[in-house]
Amino acid sequence: MRSQVIRFATEHPRRVFAAILALVIATAALIPNIQIDTDPENMLAHDDPARVFHNQVKSDFTMYDSIVVGAIADGPDGIFTPRSLLALHTLTSEILKLDGVVPGETLALSTSDNITQGAPGTIRFEYLMRQAPQTQAAAAAIGEAVARLPLLDNTLVSGDGKAAAIYVPLYHKEDSFEVAEQIRALITTLDSDDHYHITGLPVAENQFGVEMFVQMAISAPMAGAMIFALMWFFFRSVPLVVAPMLVAMATVIATMGTLIGMGFTVHIMSSMIAIFLMPIAVVDSVHIMSDFTDRYRAGDDAKAVISEVMEDLFNPMLFTSVTSAVGFYSLMLTPIPPVQIFGAFVGSGILLAFLISVLLVPAYVVRLKPATLDSMQARLHGESEHSGLLARTLPSLGRFAMNKHKALLIGAGVILLASLAGISRIQINDNPVRWFKADHDIRIADEVLNHHFAGTYDAWLVLQDNNALLDSTTRETLAQNLAAVGITLSQEALTPQAIADLLTELDDRAFSAEDDATLDAIEAAVAQLEPLAEQSRRFLDPKVLSWMAGLQADLQQSGLVGKSNALPDIVKTVNRELRSGKPEDFVLPGSAAGVAQTLLQFQSSHRPDDLWHFVSRDYRQSLIWLQLTSGDNQHMNQVVARIDDYLDAHPLPQGLEAHWAGKAYINVIWQDAMVSGMAGSLASAFVIVFIMMALLFRSPLYGLIAMLPLTLTIAFIYGLVGWLGKDYDMPIAVLSALALGLSVDFAIHFLERTRAIHKETGSLPVTLKLMFEEPSRAISRNAIVIALGFTPLLLAPLVPYITVGVLMASIMAVSASVTLLLLPAALTLLQRWALPTPSGKQDATAPQSNSGE
Amino acid sequence: MNTPIKKTLIALLAIGSTLTVQASELSAEQIINKANQASFYAGDDGRSQARMKIIDDQGREQLRQFTILRRTKEALGDQQMLVFFSRPSDVRGTVFRVEKKIASDDDRWLYLPGLDLLRRISAGDKRTSFVGSHFFYEDVSGRNPREDSFALVEETDEHYVIDATPKDPGSVEFTHYRVWIDKTTFLPMKAEYRDGQDNLYRRVSVAKVETVQGHPTVVRSKVEDLRSGGATLMEFRGVEYDLGLPESIFSERSMRTPPTQYLR
Repeated sequence: MRSQVIRFATEHPRRVFAAILALVIATAALIPNIQIDTDPENMLAHDDPARVFHNQVKSDFTMYDSIVVGAIADGPDGIFTPRSLLALHTLTSEILKLDGVVPGETLALSTSDNITQGAPGTIRFEYLMRQAPQTQAAAAAIGEAVARLPLLDNTLVSGDGKAAAIYVPLYHKEDSFEVAEQIRALITTLDSDDHYHITGLPVAENQFGVEMFVQMAISAPMAGAMIFALMWFFFRSVPLVVAPMLVAMATVIATMGTLIGMGFTVHIMSSMIAIFLMPIAVVDSVHIMSDFTDRYRAGDDAKAVISEVMEDLFNPMLFTSVTSAVGFYSLMLTPIPPVQIFGAFVGSGILLAFLISVLLVPAYVVRLKPATLDSMQARLHGESEHSGLLARTLPSLGRFAMNKHKALLIGAGVILLASLAGISRIQINDNPVRWFKADHDIRIADEVLNHHFAGTYDAWLVLQDNNALLDSTTRETLAQNLAAVGITLSQEALTPQAIADLLTELDDRAFSAEDDATLDAIEAAVAQLEPLAEQSRRFLDPKVLSWMAGLQADLQQSGLVGKSNALPDIVKTVNRELRSGKPEDFVLPGSAAGVAQTLLQFQSSHRPDDLWHFVSRDYRQSLIWLQLTSGDNQHMNQVVARIDDYLDAHPLPQGLEAHWAGKAYINVIWQDAMVSGMAGSLASAFVIVFIMMALLFRSPLYGLIAMLPLTLTIAFIYGLVGWLGKDYDMPIAVLSALALGLSVDFAIHFLERTRAIHKETGSLPVTLKLMFEEPSRAISRNAIVIALGFTPLLLAPLVPYITVGVLMASIMAVSASVTLLLLPAALTLLQRWALPTPSGKQDATAPQSNSGE
Repeated sequence: MNTPIKKTLIALLAIGSTLTVQASELSAEQIINKANQASFYAGDDGRSQARMKIIDDQGREQLRQFTILRRTKEALGDQQMLVFFSRPSDVRGTVFRVEKKIASDDDRWLYLPGLDLLRRISAGDKRTSFVGSHFFYEDVSGRNPREDSFALVEETDEHYVIDATPKDPGSVEFTHYRVWIDKTTFLPMKAEYRDGQDNLYRRVSVAKVETVQGHPTVVRSKVEDLRSGGATLMEFRGVEYDLGLPESIFSERSMRTPPTQYLR
């Protein structure tokens, strides 16, 4: 098959060009359908239980994703001045008019209600700030009013009175960038000296999507240009360098076009596919071109030479491609859909790159004019082979590796141990806001607003009563009572809504009832149903509310949350104002009826539905909203641990269950999945790559030796991440696959060539000497091209891209060094088994361990 | 009855109805006064059992059931009201008392049996939710016509269409509303409220009218919050007029000890 492919490519170059061009055009046509997805929620599958529950909670409690707009005033009176409040009032009115904003749920001073004692014995509901105040005293009074409302204090206005916020809920979080831009424009028109900031996870995510687009349009082409320039530096021939570029472009376009065409969204992961594929796609053609220029001499038949080269390189290239692909395919074992898609498409892209390389590069070479080939050959052999820096230093590196092989191996062992220690220190943490650089508006807003307020990151602890509403004996008597009225009780579990419907039905029948017997039966059924309904409304029970208040107090004491908001806060506030307005009446009423009547009053405000953010309409679920000052999942983990401890010490009231939701918590879930998933996929990729190596070299020993560079590279990179204290986030996690793929590429080429040369020379020192000529230069060039090729990423405004750029360079440097140092050292140590001197040939070195001296 | 007189009467009625069709013999204010009379002043006093179903955009329901007693002190003038809650059972015994005043702010009181508290509700915004429903307090007690300016914009075969603009725009959430008043019963059949951008955001409509003791009476109505998609359905049953409710029962005492004989 190999020969057929090579023959086809060299015999029919035009057909090869036409086919690849057709593929590129067909797939490029699909790219305009691109759909960007930056929602971290999509890190979890749609049917992931945590995600399903999170969305159920959002729907049950009518929670929207919100933009947070904050205003900070520098003056001595803080935000409570007529001028600052007028600006806030104006901005709020304008925000309410924006498309995509949920006006009824927008939380601001001018949309919120105050409940006060109008006069002794009088209660009063009114807007906190219907109109902006005219006097300083009136402005200060608003500040004092907010301080009395625990639900708003430190949420809507900062504890220090310097800042106020507007929470802008969105029907669709996808609109957040556009709405945020409109709000920014509105802010510039305000007459105000206050500092306005915009934050909130949806803004960060959406903004990231927009900047990611820009990044894809700038970084990937810049990386391409850089790679092109570097290759030109090494090969000094534009025609030669064009070939790898064509392969890279064709691969990237075909892969991305297929991904988009198949309807997958471009997530932050898949946006990096181009950047990952480019170096890998270039590597194969660089090997071919390197080898070709090595063998080609002026006057040779290019077709014959390239066929010969391809015959030699086809297998190692196939194997490197397959092993690299396996490294990426292993990502499909992680439970994170965007990472699965990333792995699948990079893996397939690598195989496609191989296919395009073995077809396009030979076809390209045979179409080159002999004169071009000659001049290219002359330049290459004239310069870099003998006078280049690599040509001068690499041979001594080879000697060093052989002479100091023991020290090198011990050093490698030490580095491995240190790396393992580093890995144990790795902090798993991701936070979409940290995807922006520290000086980005989003990061500054996040920092400022979380400094002033109780926190812009949300976690929800949802308590649910799962007690059955009806036991079997009660059901029997109820069924009898209802039967007397002519109603059949459904066999299904009784729901609160069913009780309400039954009561309504009984009520209707009472109106039309003609005789006393029917009325008596109705009364009996009602007398049985009403207590059932009351018992079902669990979150009206003061004992349950008191338990919740205890948990909130503990959370506040822990210092882990800026603030928690829940039903007890509402009940106590209304109760206080109904009674005396004094702090001593900030208590829970003594009975469920008292709580229900308090809440009926709360609902007599301008925003009655605010209640349903904290309790479900059937009073069987209640939500405690925790405000966190950071979106780091470690922070959330501490909160979860604290609650777990609290639940151990203070068990939930009978029949209640507690579950987590909220964006901060969802991030924890997928990050946990990512870590365990990555570990699993890396382990399985290791095993598969080892088996493939052992098969390729037909030697388990070689399989093991080939694993050395990638093991040490991956360990070193992640050890470094641990020691530097860099958070282990998604881009870092997936780089393990790239490290695996590229390190193994170098190892295969090095070992394959070493074996081939050794077969001819029969001597290890001679073999290694030759190895540190052209083959090592090819590896070094590849490493340098890829490492430096990604330096444009360092200029990116988005942190994940910078991370990839830095790590890419590190991976190339480490894996090339490890390959060039550790493999010769290992081969020297193990030469008796790995490269035995063929009988009949004389070994130039003593096989003993003193050979190095 | 002799025939000529009958003929004359028919002729007079015919002339009268022609005049009505040609419109304009009733001013917008007059129509509004008739509408106010029809909706809130039928009979000397009255009682009805109300049931409210509050539904959100996801179809989730809450129920409120209460009995209203109403007594008119003077035609189109001051009124007294008591609202006794019976369901959900945990709010049973909660009572509102209103002394509706035309010349000044209404007086309102509240009794909460679960807290054993009787409180006066400060005069203030009456366009707050009525116990969590999409109705406002003002919808239940009746908005004072003195607060708006009216203009008759259209007369259809069935309705007078009148636009209302608030005299104090800062006190309400709408910029104007339009009301469709039935020409025969003078009941407002529909009212639509618009915000500052002239978007329609709220609609109150009548679904069913029955004649009780000669008074056309709304027995089913609906408020829709067109922004949130929620709605409240209100049903009145057991409506009775002219029960002879004594003024004395509209008192603080009745709030703590409901006058059961008048509540049935």
